[in-house]
Amino acid sequence: MTDVERPAVGRRVGVRLLGYLGGMLLVIWGAATAGFLALKLVPGDPVEVMLGVNAQVSDETKAAIREDWGLNDPPLVQYLGYLGRLVRGDLGESYQLRQPVAEVIGAQLPATLALTGLAILLALLISLTTAFLVRGRWATRIVSTIELVLVSSPTFWIGLVLIAFFAFRLHWFPVTTNASFASLVLPAITLALPISGILSQVLRQGLVDAASQPFALTARARGLGYPALVARHTLRHAAADGLTLSAYILGTLLGGAVLVETVFGRAGLGRVTLRAVIDRDLPVVLGIIVVIAVAFAVINLLVDLAYERLDPRLRVQGKAA
Amino acid sequence: MSKRLSLTVALVATTALLAGCATPATPAEQNVTFAIEGANLSAGHMDPHSSQLDVSALVGRQVLDSLVAQDLDGSFVPWLAKSWTISDDQLHYTFELRDDVTFTDGEKFNAEAVKANFDHITAEETASAHAAAMLGSGSAYVDTTVDDEYTVSVNFSTPYAPFLQAASTSLLGFYSPKVLATSADKLKTGGPDVTVGTGPFILESYTPDQELDYVANPDYNWGPENAEHTGASDIENLTIRILPEPSVRTGALTSGEVNVATNLTPNTIDQVGDGFTVKAAEYPGIPYSLHINESYGVFADPKVREAFSIGFDVDSAVDSIFFGQFKRAWSVLGPTTPNSYDASLEGSWPYDPDKANALLDEAGWTERDAEGYRVKDGKRLSARWIAYTPIPDDRAALADVIQSDLKKIGFEIKREALEPAAYNEQYGPRTYDITDWSFANVDADGLRSHFHTGGFQNASTVSDPALDTLLDDAVATSDEAERTTLYQEVQQYNAAEHLMVPLYVPSLLTGYSDSVKGLEWDLYGRPLFYGASISVD
Repeated sequence: MTDVERPAVGRRVGVRLLGYLGGMLLVIWGAATAGFLALKLVPGDPVEVMLGVNAQVSDETKAAIREDWGLNDPPLVQYLGYLGRLVRGDLGESYQLRQPVAEVIGAQLPATLALTGLAILLALLISLTTAFLVRGRWATRIVSTIELVLVSSPTFWIGLVLIAFFAFRLHWFPVTTNASFASLVLPAITLALPISGILSQVLRQGLVDAASQPFALTARARGLGYPALVARHTLRHAAADGLTLSAYILGTLLGGAVLVETVFGRAGLGRVTLRAVIDRDLPVVLGIIVVIAVAFAVINLLVDLAYERLDPRLRVQGKAA
Repeated sequence: MSKRLSLTVALVATTALLAGCATPATPAEQNVTFAIEGANLSAGHMDPHSSQLDVSALVGRQVLDSLVAQDLDGSFVPWLAKSWTISDDQLHYTFELRDDVTFTDGEKFNAEAVKANFDHITAEETASAHAAAMLGSGSAYVDTTVDDEYTVSVNFSTPYAPFLQAASTSLLGFYSPKVLATSADKLKTGGPDVTVGTGPFILESYTPDQELDYVANPDYNWGPENAEHTGASDIENLTIRILPEPSVRTGALTSGEVNVATNLTPNTIDQVGDGFTVKAAEYPGIPYSLHINESYGVFADPKVREAFSIGFDVDSAVDSIFFGQFKRAWSVLGPTTPNSYDASLEGSWPYDPDKANALLDEAGWTERDAEGYRVKDGKRLSARWIAYTPIPDDRAALADVIQSDLKKIGFEIKREALEPAAYNEQYGPRTYDITDWSFANVDADGLRSHFHTGGFQNASTVSDPALDTLLDDAVATSDEAERTTLYQEVQQYNAAEHLMVPLYVPSLLTGYSDSVKGLEWDLYGRPLFYGASISVD
């Protein structure tokens, strides 16, 4: 690389970054709009939902709440007001909780991040270990069966089985205290198992495919052992396949968090999401949609960059973004 | 200190420690964990003043005291009120308050505090879904007036007999006036600086959807007169753990992770073994019932209503679905409802498919269509049942039985499970044939909202001046014998008209470890922790 080329590279990176940012904004706007429309189309008055069945509240009081929440405005006005606040970074205030949405999400985010973070770590650990260790026809068959069972078992059920065995029978992990790290283990395993099931399947298939390529044969011919071959060469190929799954994994994590948090009685974003959808708590639902859209956009960006690191052919050298 | 001495000291200390562990005389750690279902609490239901949910009252009780307490026999005893008088016209209740009660934020409990709380309950901004109605707001309640610092009067425009019962619940419990003045808008969300009362426990931290942590109120010396315990609670730390999954609650109890667990489900009870006690407390009030809309479709004909009510086998369905834990209901009031239950109705309308068939024939539903359902004038005998979600599995199983039993006599039942919002859209204009719920209420006056013309829970749309008079008279007298007679007439009225078909009397199932001593119970069967303690013997 010569000095003359540098500004050009800088501009290219800048243009790419702008492209990403624009795309991200488009995704967030799309998600926010779709969420708004979905919640407006679903039948049910949020005030009735909040009060619940058999609530003894006069129609005047209900009308006053509707006015207070701005539900009497035409939907377009509500939508524009919502977008306007969103642009200013204001997610609004929860109907139910009378708290700023940013606070509601902020309060629950650490618990969910801890849960999902540990789950991802465990899933990677499990799937990499099996990918490295499991070879041969019988071992592969047994492990694929286990993986299939894990992928097809409901998260809910896995959680209950783990609780019954490791918490109630063996007393290894508490279920009813939440302060300690130990209480995070079972929920994280519950969330990690289905992900590791699918991830290790994909990784192993990738390893097998890569191992049948000529370069692998060459490497083995040079005298490279299998572990070294995996670590230095074929895992890179397999990892690219694994990365493709990251959006799927993110979705699984969010969906799984709802169930895991319910089974284990944990606070977190999953419970808040479920509750907000049931209660038609529009500001909270939209706030969560925006947060998730951002997460997806960021992860896709990271995945794109990771592809390039893993596979030199994809690097943008020489072509404009 | 020489080496040898320190060794001796260490030995003695260790022995003492070990001995201490083995001696029952050493007080156990007074930490109690209580598992509840609690899934709705975080949805703005922390305030019993505004919420109609059981869980709000249950959780509120730890912190909120009341004017009076209701004994298990239905009578009332002093609590924050030393005494009270009721005016001859029964329109004014005057309470003499204790003068030694303070809120846990240091505010004084006095007549102004009572007024501030009752004003809060009835304020429109509170949007009270139940407490205001219990106070008689919108019908009988006029206002609360301060007579002097420790004397307060509650005034009504018409006599309102259920008031004392209402006043004994946490729904009419007392928040610190400072909270009401500065952060009333945060009560529904709740929290340590907001959920502040005079109660035996102080809310120290609250993690929504997870747990509530309380410590004993060290100054507490104003328990209800019927409590065995006096002074501060022996429990140092009370944790209420929210575990929405029933099998997890039962497992947490039997594995010793929690000391007390409530809302246990009948199918998990057999897992609770030795060393534990399960208390089954039948809910007072309206049993789980089907509400028959007499002004919408086929149920306009009383014969069809009667045929429906005896057309399915309630006994065997309830017995098998609830594992014998819940009793089949015979009346629109549960047997534990004080001063009202009519036991003569028991066994009076058993399952009788032959009679049901005969009644439907008489009503003109004589033809049958290809699917075996009865037809009259080209129309199928069909009723639409709307239910609001979430529908528990056991109730769905019960509905399956009802549906298939009625199919045998040619009566079609169509079921719709609706989310609360969609449900309310049909419930409002009463466009359904059947709906279902139970309504726990200690005072039999719960019948008024169900049977009085225009009552908000009048799902059967009945409107009969004679019935209205019975209900109005019953609420206007505090004579227990007279009230009992009137409510029995209401129960007989339903048995003749089949407006509600009561199915079973739900019980609140609460399991506790035998190491928990001194638990007491309120009339809803909810545990009261004030007098409880842990002892390992």
